Amino acid sequence: MIGSIPLGDVLLASGALFTIGLAGALLRRSAISIFLSIEVMMNAANLALIGYGAALGTREGQIIVFFIIAIAAAEASVGLAIFVALFRHKETIDVNKINLLKW
Amino acid sequence: MTMSRLVFDAAAAMAILFAALMVVHPHPVKSVLAVVVSFFGLAVCYVMLSAPFIAAIQVIVYAGAILVLFLFVLMLLNVGQEAPERDPRPIQRWLSAAALVVFAALLLALLRAHGGSAPAALDPVSADVAPLARLLFSRYLLPFEALSILLLAALVGAFVLAQREKSS
Repeated sequence: MIGSIPLGDVLLASGALFTIGLAGALLRRSAISIFLSIEVMMNAANLALIGYGAALGTREGQIIVFFIIAIAAAEASVGLAIFVALFRHKETIDVNKINLLKW
Repeated sequence: MTMSRLVFDAAAAMAILFAALMVVHPHPVKSVLAVVVSFFGLAVCYVMLSAPFIAAIQVIVYAGAILVLFLFVLMLLNVGQEAPERDPRPIQRWLSAAALVVFAALLLALLRAHGGSAPAALDPVSADVAPLARLLFSRYLLPFEALSILLLAALVGAFVLAQREKSS
């Protein structure tokens, strides 16, 4: 036993990362930057899961994070493919200029 | 202040700092590189929370594969710096300010509820990877196999989406 980490520290870091990701998703205009902010939010959730798993002495938290990372990989590949297709159509990935579904 | 708590806090502070740098930096390539550093900090956090396997996955899959994919797409699209803000977009500003307020409220609730009591131990027994693999291949075998189908579907989907359209 080297020492222990209070759960409050973990949740604090997780909350701060999530807030930063949320602010980034709201404030940025490049679609890729928004996607990146969403990845940061997902990692904040991962950190909270690992922290609770360690505090409760169970491995289920790590299993869930393993699945989340795999799904994030799938999601990133499809999302980036959508951006490539979008760029081919509109020559931009600025979300203010993409208004196909807006009336 | 124990040693592991010190290391965890330093790594978490690094992750938060570089995530904030990602948000404020207008250049997308530098944003992605800042997130790479942030995820390395998170990997150190995972090691301190006795999850070394997840830390390795974080570095290999997240920092090594997903963010490199981001860089490749940025290179393909040749996306430059975001133009400086012209329209004020007050709704987003207000919403992110509201997010900060919610975060502060959560923080207050957290400090009142926990007071830094519940310990997350870092010990070599719970950091062992073998029981994790046993769990993954017995109880969580079905989701694990479903994941392979999902990855295959994502592969096919990405290929179809990014394919050049035939001019017919």
